[in-house]
Amino acid sequence: MPGNETMYTLWYEESDGKDFNFVGKKNANLGEMIKAGIRVSPGFSVTIFANDKFITDTGIKEKIEAYLKDLGPVTFETTKKASGYAIDLIESAKIPADIEEDILSNYRRLCEISRTADVPVAVRSSGAISMPGQMETYLNIRGEKDLITYVKKCWSSAYNVEAIMYRANKGMGFLFNIGVGIPKMVNSRASGIIFTINPLNGDPSKISIDVSYGLGEAVVSGLVTPDTILMDKITLDPVKTIVGSKEIQCVYRERGSDIIQTEVSDDKRGRLCISPDELQELCRLGKLIEDYYGKAYDIEFGIDADLPFPENIIILQVRPESVWSKKEAAARTEKKKDPMERILGQLLTGVRLKQ
Amino acid sequence: MAAKTFKDPHDIPTIPGTEGWEKMYPYQYQFSKDDPEREAFESSQIWYYDGLHYPEPHFPFDLIWDEAWSLALSQYNTRHFIIPPALGIDHRIVNGYVYITPVGIPDPEVVGKRVPHFLERAGYYYQNWDRLFENWKKKVTALIGEMDAVNFSELPEMEDIKVITEGIGKGSGYELLKKYDDLINMGLLNWQYHFEFLNLGYAAYVTFINTANQIFPGIPISTLTKMVSGIDVVMYRPDSELIRLAKLVIETNLEDMFLKPLNSADLMAQLATVPAGKQWLAEMEKARYPWFYISTGTGWYHHHISWNDNLDIPFDAVRMHIKSLKEGKEVGRPTEKLIKERDRIAEEYRKLIKTDDDREAFEQCLAVARTVFPYVEDHLFYIEHWFHSIFWGKIRQIGNILHKAGFIEDIEDIWFLKRDEIKQALWDHCTAWATGVKPRGPSYWPKEVSWRKGVYEKFKNWAPPPALGVPPEVVTEPFTIVLWGVTTDVLSEWLKGGEDGEGVQNELKGSPGSSGLVEGRARVLRDVAELADLKEGEILVATTTSPSWAPAFVKIAGAVTDVGGPMCHAAIVCREYGLPTVVGTGKATRLIKTGDLIRIDGDSGLVTILERA
Repeated sequence: MPGNETMYTLWYEESDGKDFNFVGKKNANLGEMIKAGIRVSPGFSVTIFANDKFITDTGIKEKIEAYLKDLGPVTFETTKKASGYAIDLIESAKIPADIEEDILSNYRRLCEISRTADVPVAVRSSGAISMPGQMETYLNIRGEKDLITYVKKCWSSAYNVEAIMYRANKGMGFLFNIGVGIPKMVNSRASGIIFTINPLNGDPSKISIDVSYGLGEAVVSGLVTPDTILMDKITLDPVKTIVGSKEIQCVYRERGSDIIQTEVSDDKRGRLCISPDELQELCRLGKLIEDYYGKAYDIEFGIDADLPFPENIIILQVRPESVWSKKEAAARTEKKKDPMERILGQLLTGVRLKQ
Repeated sequence: MAAKTFKDPHDIPTIPGTEGWEKMYPYQYQFSKDDPEREAFESSQIWYYDGLHYPEPHFPFDLIWDEAWSLALSQYNTRHFIIPPALGIDHRIVNGYVYITPVGIPDPEVVGKRVPHFLERAGYYYQNWDRLFENWKKKVTALIGEMDAVNFSELPEMEDIKVITEGIGKGSGYELLKKYDDLINMGLLNWQYHFEFLNLGYAAYVTFINTANQIFPGIPISTLTKMVSGIDVVMYRPDSELIRLAKLVIETNLEDMFLKPLNSADLMAQLATVPAGKQWLAEMEKARYPWFYISTGTGWYHHHISWNDNLDIPFDAVRMHIKSLKEGKEVGRPTEKLIKERDRIAEEYRKLIKTDDDREAFEQCLAVARTVFPYVEDHLFYIEHWFHSIFWGKIRQIGNILHKAGFIEDIEDIWFLKRDEIKQALWDHCTAWATGVKPRGPSYWPKEVSWRKGVYEKFKNWAPPPALGVPPEVVTEPFTIVLWGVTTDVLSEWLKGGEDGEGVQNELKGSPGSSGLVEGRARVLRDVAELADLKEGEILVATTTSPSWAPAFVKIAGAVTDVGGPMCHAAIVCREYGLPTVVGTGKATRLIKTGDLIRIDGDSGLVTILERA
């Protein structure tokens, strides 16, 4: 979008996949998804430009460059020092007023849309290249003051030791501006992950859904055995349903921003945590996402307790499936002269019984 | 390798009080030790209980169909089509329950020699399938007509004068004996026809299933069935006839009469008093033959009666359809939607195939599966329903003759005689009639039948183990795989079992029939007459279901059956209605009570009783 280059913030729906250099990959993806009809939690991006303007206007950029020059050869020790230096500078600096005002006016609008004062939001890092798990995401941030603090924390997380090392290994420079995503927190009654293939064998005719009570952390971090449902991608019939044990769920502490684990009652453990309708809607969205990008995807979702079906099904994050998509397709069947030979082959093979 | 085995078939004890039960069935059905070679064969095979067809112990007469298919299925594998690695399926009976075993060919050289014959013979049938199948329908329909024309009546006091004046030269006693033989032979012939295509049909279908599974691991059978299922399937015709009749009731304003709680005879009498009613009755007469010969069960037992045996059943179903139509619900089989869906599913699957080799394999197997599938679906109506329903009625005519002659106390006692014994009793009856003396039968059979009834009750209370003998490493016999679903999982489930039946059992395992997970209150139906009790959203629990129950499928949330595999009719119907279904649990009707809260998982085949009523 022309003119965007000098904007500090953009609503998700105002950007698309091409804007990844400007808002970061995750944010750009969200914009792209909204355009494709995929329901995501409402929110906006703080642009990479805003980050750059912040470190330039505050003089942080120059200070870091000077510091690095004096630091000597790159070792783990010096990296640790540089990391600490950069993080301190960023977190203690004041964001230029025009940027701050832009972020806060968007936040106020988000509160309006959500009909909630100080609506809880997530503050997510969004780099222009993917660096899985290297930078921070902060959840359940409420109120203007905290929001500004955490935007800075997010920016500074690009200078985590791991993140710096990761970039150094890829031959990238020290300075790294990122986008920040600020979506409304989904009040997840249940959440999980969709694969638009069977992740166990790469079968493209299945959709796999792992889902458990509460926040997605429980599933993503493997804290629980979630419900696992394998769906036929074409007929949308369940192929295999495994009710997981789901002993605990992750929720936010009352009025706090940290996640605590609570027990799930026996009664709730024993049953699936989502309804057949919700499953169907998840599959529909999974297929939509796969069709839109033209390849298999890995999708995080939440089911919002405050919203009616189907608005409650919210896509949190998407990324291309990375294991099977890279493998070359090999024929799974044997070559045969004609159908008769196939039937013969089947009869001769039979069904082997393992003992 | 020699892992777990089941109990040796020779070690199953006789139930106390049933000593001598063996005479109720043919002698070759016994496991015996009198020939060491046969004994060793019996001990080395896997014998599984055919609960799919026989949820109850066998009545001596009803074993006729077991013998009929034992001959027919096996001969087509072994002697007609020369299926390379598979001979027939052998049969035994233990405490009234039939056990069967697939017989393989262990010598690869013998298998190899069979291959060219198979290719020639089976190839001919596959290539000429449609023409041969058309011819099959003609043969079978003609045979049913021939059988329907046979009727049995009591022997006359004096032969008709025409027998004299036309110089016929033979008597009613001889005719009765001959007609009985003819009837039995027609029955056996129809079972020859039953398997003319079925072995090859299953072989093609199992090839499609496995090929599709290689390309798409774990593709549900329900999806594969949707891709091949026929459009004009005769098994659905009886229900669509009822829908047609229900619509006619509404169009001709006959609803008031149908809403009255009348039995079919009274309602028909009322209908006959008005012109529109007469017209409706005429339409019903047209629909009755053959469509009301649909059985209310599988057709395998004499007590699986057809609609024609009790018109209250189709009349109640018409009432249900009227109600659904008035409520604006979709009734019947949405043929057009199914065609579209079938084409969409096949097309979308095609698109997911990544290599040309796989695409070719898929296309070839799909095409053959679609060729054979109409037969696989339709033969059931012709043989198990239409033919059997008429046949049971004919045997009842003979039961009536023997009852009148004092051989049996009740017509329904006839099922406790083997078919050869009926022949003997008829000889007794006819020769005594010819001679003008008292037959021995009346002093012999009532006592014998009464003892057999006692034995039968004891059989009923015995839980047959799912399998006996030694599991094989490979099963090549197509029926064993497709119809009975004997797989690794099933065998291991069977091996686990054995100790159940003790205490309260809240979980039972069957085969996935139709996918989905549902919870609801159970309604256990033992009889089609109870269908009227069924409430919206209940889960139907029955020994088996039949297409004649179709009107109920719009109401229920799911179904559980005692018998059936993934290709059994209940499973096919439920998949079509999209109802989560578990089939072949063995004992759902015994363990579940009406009103219990149950959960059924049509994907894993697990049924859980959550709360007792």
